[in-house]
Amino acid sequence: MNIEDLTQLTQFQIDEQPHITVNKDICRSCDHRACVQACPANCYTFNEETKLLSVVYESCLECGTCYVLCDKGGLDWSYPRGGYGVGYRLT
Amino acid sequence: MAKYFDVIIVGAGPAGSLAALKLARAGLNVIMVERGSHPGVKNMFGGLLHNTPVLNELLPDFHERAPLERHVYKKVLAFMTPESSVSLTFENENFDKPPYNGYTVFRPAFDRWLADEAVKAGALLLTDCTAENVINEHGRVAGITVKGREGELRSKIVIAADGVLSFMAEKAGLRQDFKAENMGMGVKLLLGMPEAVINERFHLVRDQGADISFLGAAGDMRGGGFIYTNYESVSIGLVVHLDSLKDSGRTPYDTLNEFLQHSSVRKLVKVATPLEYSAHLIPEGGYNALPPLYTDGIMLAGDAAGLCYTNGINLEGINLAMTSGVLAAETAIEAIRENDYTARSLAVYRKKLEQSFVLKDMKEFKSAAGMMHLERLFRSYPQVLAGIMEKVYRTDGTPRSKLLRLARREALQKVGLTDLIADGFKIGRSLL
Repeated sequence: MNIEDLTQLTQFQIDEQPHITVNKDICRSCDHRACVQACPANCYTFNEETKLLSVVYESCLECGTCYVLCDKGGLDWSYPRGGYGVGYRLT
Repeated sequence: MAKYFDVIIVGAGPAGSLAALKLARAGLNVIMVERGSHPGVKNMFGGLLHNTPVLNELLPDFHERAPLERHVYKKVLAFMTPESSVSLTFENENFDKPPYNGYTVFRPAFDRWLADEAVKAGALLLTDCTAENVINEHGRVAGITVKGREGELRSKIVIAADGVLSFMAEKAGLRQDFKAENMGMGVKLLLGMPEAVINERFHLVRDQGADISFLGAAGDMRGGGFIYTNYESVSIGLVVHLDSLKDSGRTPYDTLNEFLQHSSVRKLVKVATPLEYSAHLIPEGGYNALPPLYTDGIMLAGDAAGLCYTNGINLEGINLAMTSGVLAAETAIEAIRENDYTARSLAVYRKKLEQSFVLKDMKEFKSAAGMMHLERLFRSYPQVLAGIMEKVYRTDGTPRSKLLRLARREALQKVGLTDLIADGFKIGRSLL
């Protein structure tokens, strides 16, 4: 299954307030951008033309992989406000 | 405006809820602060609730009342290479009668039920509340603040049971710097299948369940796969070390898809309905990576305390979490009786953990965390095993060798003598 179909299976209560923000200057010069490849929900995209890293916090599974792998201080990462974010039904 | 409690528990997972239950039964004024809309909604694990003495003691009839799936009767350990799989199956009549050795469960259902038991015993539960910071006062943690809300919650003691990333531990200065090699990522897909199909494919009857662990199922990464059977669904996924995920340059979901396509797995999960996709981190640093477990006014429990271990065969966390929650609660009860919330008083918590199986097991297998960093354990050794088995069974006119000679040749060819000796030492020290 591709990742779009996978994340479709999971429910989210979307907050208009993002719980992850990226620092575009730091992320532009990052030499690994492990977040892009390691995020299990494919939340991060790096645009090669504009050299900008973007994050779709709305489909974040709140696992913290990017938070642990980012060693450049490029991410401002916290849990969403109470009641928002991923909501597992079974699992 | 502040509200006062004897104990604030951050996180209504298994550690937090059992701590709350114990404290409430002791007549203390306790509150659980949970960021989800209900307990369990943020929680995910592979699938197995291990038999845990503190759970049996506090809720002796949980077997009848808790939302459980199958009891685990069949244990399979499989060594996987891209084209083969060598497995050891253990079935035991004793695992088929109470007290069962473990159940598969859904965390959103089980954690919710467990928290509700604490509430029934008199604990308060505040949902939709993300703890933001600890309040430091007179040199100790004296409460917490909540994200996006005014006011504070104050207490004599805080128990941080807020999971693997524990921001409460960080704010209290207890959290160790995360190392990618000490973190496992679990990704999981829940696949719906009719009960009869599951029973047939996994050779199960009645409420029997299977737990299959695969070593070397994650491509070039250090990691493995798992399958747990529920009544009408199967949990299938991978656990990989974060550093090797990063180094591989591959995505977790592509690797999961590859695992699902392996010839020995594909037939087990074909024509299934995908139900849910989830991911979570696992603290896998073991005993040597444990953070300080307490300081003035605060104790860490469960994943927040890094209480989890794997030795390649066992992977345990939820039983350690629940036990630590109860031991933290016992410590809090004594501290409150003595009116002493200092680190010196809470040091009893560490002693209790050392005396229980929690730190005894983690200590016993403390070298295993290093062993699990051996790339060859996940790549070369499954290939050695598969190579031996293939030569044992293949009939093509090539003269056969006795087992030992065959094994020696395979191992020397695929690993080499120097590495073989070094690995033998490391694996031996970890497991034997």
